[in-house]
Amino acid sequence: MVIHNLSKHYMVDGESLMVLSDFSLEVEQDAITALVGPSGCGKTTLLRLIGGLESIDSGYIELNDQEKGPMSYLFQEPRLLPWDSVLTNVELVLRESIPTKKERIQRAMEFISLVGLEEYASFKPDQLSGGMRQRVAIARAFAFPAKIMLLDEPFQSLDSLLRWSLVQAFITLWEKNKRTVLYITHDVQEAFLMADRVVKLSHRPMRVLKEYPIMMSRSERSLRDPQFAELFSQFYQ
Amino acid sequence: MPRSTLATKVVVVLSLLLLLGVWHIGSLVLDAQVILPTPSKTFSAFITLLQYKPLSVNLLTTVGRALKSFLIIVTVGSVLGIIAGYKPLFSAALQPLLVMCKAIPVMSIILLAFIWFSSGTVPLFSAFLMGFPVMFVQVEEGVRLISEDLSEMSHMYHFSQKDRIMHLIIPSLTPSLITGAKASLSMVWKVVIAAEVLTVPRYGVGSRMQLAQINLETAEVLAWTLIAILLTALGDVLFIAMLQLPKRFRELKTKHFERVHGHS
Repeated sequence: MVIHNLSKHYMVDGESLMVLSDFSLEVEQDAITALVGPSGCGKTTLLRLIGGLESIDSGYIELNDQEKGPMSYLFQEPRLLPWDSVLTNVELVLRESIPTKKERIQRAMEFISLVGLEEYASFKPDQLSGGMRQRVAIARAFAFPAKIMLLDEPFQSLDSLLRWSLVQAFITLWEKNKRTVLYITHDVQEAFLMADRVVKLSHRPMRVLKEYPIMMSRSERSLRDPQFAELFSQFYQ
Repeated sequence: MPRSTLATKVVVVLSLLLLLGVWHIGSLVLDAQVILPTPSKTFSAFITLLQYKPLSVNLLTTVGRALKSFLIIVTVGSVLGIIAGYKPLFSAALQPLLVMCKAIPVMSIILLAFIWFSSGTVPLFSAFLMGFPVMFVQVEEGVRLISEDLSEMSHMYHFSQKDRIMHLIIPSLTPSLITGAKASLSMVWKVVIAAEVLTVPRYGVGSRMQLAQINLETAEVLAWTLIAILLTALGDVLFIAMLQLPKRFRELKTKHFERVHGHS
């Protein structure tokens, strides 16, 4: 995916606010790219433009043939249907791609099991904890036959321990089922532990300040590893 | 609503007894059965009514009118309310009609309707004009309250139109539909009976009330009133029971799921 000269403005109280202007970025296929930047720099807007949730003022997004098609979006909130069970919440996103109900339920259950919630398939979202709800959202995002996944700080609202277990769950699912992932966060550590490439962004107007490719395998990454610590510390220079 | 404890139940019963006591003493003081019959006289008139043959015809005709107008109100109010919730221009176009419906006194609607329609149609027409705005406003507001976040999610994950309606719009609107339906149902009873009183169609609780009033059968007027109250209460009870059905059904489904998937 290549982002070419994207611009977007909003009208706030009759004044035009330029959120993105001429922003360009190349995103590697089937890899995790983390975008790290200060709050309010326009990361979320960028993700919403890519996902088609907002209209683009100018510029365009180029997708190669393998990347074309629907996209998954992991929002900051789980955004589950509160009146439907965990199973139905996941099964609904498979309706377009799998016509037979039995197969669909089986497939949905596979993803629910992968995030460790098979026992809770018949539960309603409000019977689950916040972390469990976000797990359901992850299962749903992976169940959806998307080539590109957009993550808008989906772990942000959780405490650090829970957060880490969700990052692990996400990585496990992704390793089994690689797609192009564009992940925005302001947590540098999380970005370095998760991504194949970390992109450092500036304040508005958002620009790419520096890119950090990470060659180490995810299992070797540890804050105690000197090589990794070195890489990590470069970010703050 | 306060929780129904033994204490609240006792208070309700005592308050009811107090009302009956005031009524009884009042009628003894007035000492004129034409103006205010005693509760026991009213009750025996009520029993006589229950044994009286055409009761069921009158009752069923009124219930039929109320149900018919209720169904029309719920259907038209929901459909137009949903459209108005999504289309501001449509909502604006309906505003004058709504303001009019809310401002016109019930009695002038009934009197005008009686000039235009036959006496059997007047209760339906009047009930519709009175109940429709209540339903409409609730549903329209309900549409505005549908979560923007969930809507976005449903588009992102390519929900079909049918799934969007079944899994997002209808469940989101359910509370508004229930509130609107409940409010218009209790309104419908009152308007239908009022219209019957004024237009006196051949059958109907209101027609009987009117006849009893002309004959100065005050106890019978009160007995018919008691029937009207019971009808409203029964309507409420049936309505609430109906709402419990899907919940019961869901519980059964969950139990079934747990049996099949071996979760206890």
